[in-house]
Amino acid sequence: MVSVMFLEQPGRWRVITTGALLALIALPVLPLGWAAVDVPTAEVGQAFWQGLATSARIAVVGAVLGLAIGLPVGVGTALAPFPGRRVLLAAIGLPLVAPSFLWAIGWSTLAAHHAIAQAFTTGVSGCVLIAATTTTALVVFASYAATLELSRSQIDAALLSGSEGAVLRRACRNAVLPAGFAAVLGGVMTLSDPGAGQILGAHTAAAEIMTAFAVRYDIALAATQCLILAAIVAAIALPLAWIAGPRLAEAVLARQLAPPPRRGRSTTSLMVASMASMYVLLIVAPPIVGLFVPLVRGGGSGSIGVPALGPAADDHLELVLLGALATAARTALNTMIYAAGAAALAVLVGSAIALAVGRNSSLRTWAMTVGIVVFSWPSFAGALGVARVATAAPSLLDVLLRSRFTVCAVLASHFVPVATAFALRAAGTIAPSWTYAAAIHGVTLPRYLRMVLWPAVRPSVSLAFALVALLASADAGSVLLLHPPGEASLPLAIFTVMANAPEVAVASLCLIYLLVTVAILAAVVGLGVEHET
Amino acid sequence: MRRARAVHARDVAVVLFACTCALVACHSGGEVVVYTSVDDVFARPVAERFQRETGVTVRLVPDTEETKSAGLLNRLIAEKARPQADVFWSGDPVRAAILKSKGISAAYRSPAAAGLPIQFSDADAYWTGFSARARVLVYNTRVVPPDEVPSSVLDLTDGRFRARACLANPLFGTTSMHAAALFVALGDERARAFFEGFVKNRGRLVSSNGEVRRRVASGECAVGLTDTDDAAVARREGKPIGVVYPDADGMGTLVVPNCAVLVAGAPHPEVARRFIDYLLSPQTERQLADSEAAQMPLRPGVPVPPGVTPIDSLRPLEVSYAALGTKLEELSQGYLKTWVDATLAGASQ
Repeated sequence: MVSVMFLEQPGRWRVITTGALLALIALPVLPLGWAAVDVPTAEVGQAFWQGLATSARIAVVGAVLGLAIGLPVGVGTALAPFPGRRVLLAAIGLPLVAPSFLWAIGWSTLAAHHAIAQAFTTGVSGCVLIAATTTTALVVFASYAATLELSRSQIDAALLSGSEGAVLRRACRNAVLPAGFAAVLGGVMTLSDPGAGQILGAHTAAAEIMTAFAVRYDIALAATQCLILAAIVAAIALPLAWIAGPRLAEAVLARQLAPPPRRGRSTTSLMVASMASMYVLLIVAPPIVGLFVPLVRGGGSGSIGVPALGPAADDHLELVLLGALATAARTALNTMIYAAGAAALAVLVGSAIALAVGRNSSLRTWAMTVGIVVFSWPSFAGALGVARVATAAPSLLDVLLRSRFTVCAVLASHFVPVATAFALRAAGTIAPSWTYAAAIHGVTLPRYLRMVLWPAVRPSVSLAFALVALLASADAGSVLLLHPPGEASLPLAIFTVMANAPEVAVASLCLIYLLVTVAILAAVVGLGVEHET
Repeated sequence: MRRARAVHARDVAVVLFACTCALVACHSGGEVVVYTSVDDVFARPVAERFQRETGVTVRLVPDTEETKSAGLLNRLIAEKARPQADVFWSGDPVRAAILKSKGISAAYRSPAAAGLPIQFSDADAYWTGFSARARVLVYNTRVVPPDEVPSSVLDLTDGRFRARACLANPLFGTTSMHAAALFVALGDERARAFFEGFVKNRGRLVSSNGEVRRRVASGECAVGLTDTDDAAVARREGKPIGVVYPDADGMGTLVVPNCAVLVAGAPHPEVARRFIDYLLSPQTERQLADSEAAQMPLRPGVPVPPGVTPIDSLRPLEVSYAALGTKLEELSQGYLKTWVDATLAGASQ
């Protein structure tokens, strides 16, 4: 019988297990290297390099804007409470958990009906807008979390030495590194996103990779292009991960500190509330409004001088809405399977990594550093690698390589770092004295895991599950590349029809998906609040 | 204690649900798998109707607009050794011809094909044409005065539409077929002059036919080249769109029939044949004509609803679809690829 003390004992098994698990999550990407051998870098095509330059421009400008907006908002909301703070934060975070093409569709639809929006919502400027939205959310949450790390005594000291302004400056200085890192991470994620560019008319590197695979089915070419993109991402993310990894590894540990005092209603809280509200009203809300416009305007009844086709406009709208609901119903099961399956696998592996890391600080740093790099890679890189293997593998392996399980596993591999961060945080709350006491009293390992460990980590695990499920469901690219025939998810169904279906149909599908996302996000926020209290 | 049990039961339920999802994910069925390059919104009702009438589950694999036709074609080529698809429902005959040349399709002379014009099908029954679209010029009625309405595809290079004409990427979809048809009908020199002239006229290269429709509808472009189903969608949405069947007095309008293809080595060949029979039936042609796709029935005697142009009233561009397939393969790796790369590079500067 394995002793409970096994959980606290160091040993080589921790290094081997952690290494093996980290290698496992990188496994889907490995076949790309094999496929890319046939295509030298010089043959990837001029269009790809042009797309890469465009993507880089979008990423850089988006990151700068995200940092400029997100840092003060994140720091301010952590220090200065105001009514509706949580709702605003959830609204700011919405672009992170919904696919970028959803926002692109919203802006595009709004621009089609309002000329004033066209100027900045098409082409590269439109993609910058969407990139900035995602990056701002990351920066806000990074700044918020960094500010919460400040102790009451630090805030009081800053207040004594100066005014509220000094407190803000101190908090901003503390948050600038994590915020900067989050901004770079957001920019890097933008590099790998094909959705927005395809809708808004900007030719990006990710779109070129999707074309290489989905059009030419030239896996070798797509693999080389993807590896180039991943190499650029790694070149940016690795040094930053190396710098930020130790700090993140320390931050995930629970500490018993008096939290920073929340300032009462003040000028700061008014300014922050105004800034956050304006951002949500001007940037997050308009694309959602854009999705409603086709529904409000109805299905149309024919152009000038041309007789209407088919039934009257109202009947047509009703038919289209019913069709959208039917599509949502048809894809609901697959959407849930991919989301929940990916989340379950990610949480399982993430928890295993946390268990293997234990209290070893260097292993924890490695886990966070590798996790950041894996998370930064193009999300469809793993899907491309697996697709490469699936076409060459015998039919016996179809259940592993051409099934819904494949989709879940590949999605999970990309989001394991998120689950790992939560699991490490949860593991940090378990005091070693609990394990010692259990060992002294002869508690068996399974009983200890079930009665002591699981209740303590359950809130974090639940939060991780919900968050990974949301993130995984938004990844239409991997699902597009790997889903078995006829097993599409709702985001994939939207991605498939967004260019050729009537506006009303696309808008309806987007709204259905958004409503479900908001409901789950609200549940996640609720879980987070329950966890805090 | 009771609350702890309830919490524990809830935890077990959640874990079981998550594990079930992962396990269910391994399940795969054995129904008819149909790859289609026809727009999902038009193809799916047909597939669902077949499913309702026969009880056979149809696993429809559509393509995205941007990768239309070419994506699934290349997927079928890549899966040749172990096909997943039973039927390829192609939105154009050129991909079907290419599949035949690569030995990926199997001959099937469907009894339901009786009555369909033979000029739209393969003589050896490797693909059978039904319900057609046409390549049309669309223009914004608020931007283009009546005396400047285009009448020919070549008008996209005319100075009156400078910087206001748009064209979908000719490497994909029906635009690629149309590009090949221009090279065959006009000859290489005149066809290249058209594409070079389009660039000189500052024409805009966009991602898809749907994008052409949107840009012309919004007035961002005055004129564009797209398909009849895209034009029909725009009209139904109440957009200010006019439609012209180009070159009625010249080389003719390119007719693009749907094609039903039996995949060689299909996992479910018997059901595949039943599905092809269904596709080629008069009821399907009627359904596609009545739908928003507004497709033209090829079979005489199938009622043509108002707003759909009867095939007899068109002057079709006379081409061999098999020849278009060969030409398209040559152009996709040669002139057109270079032209697209250069045009996109110029546009991003």
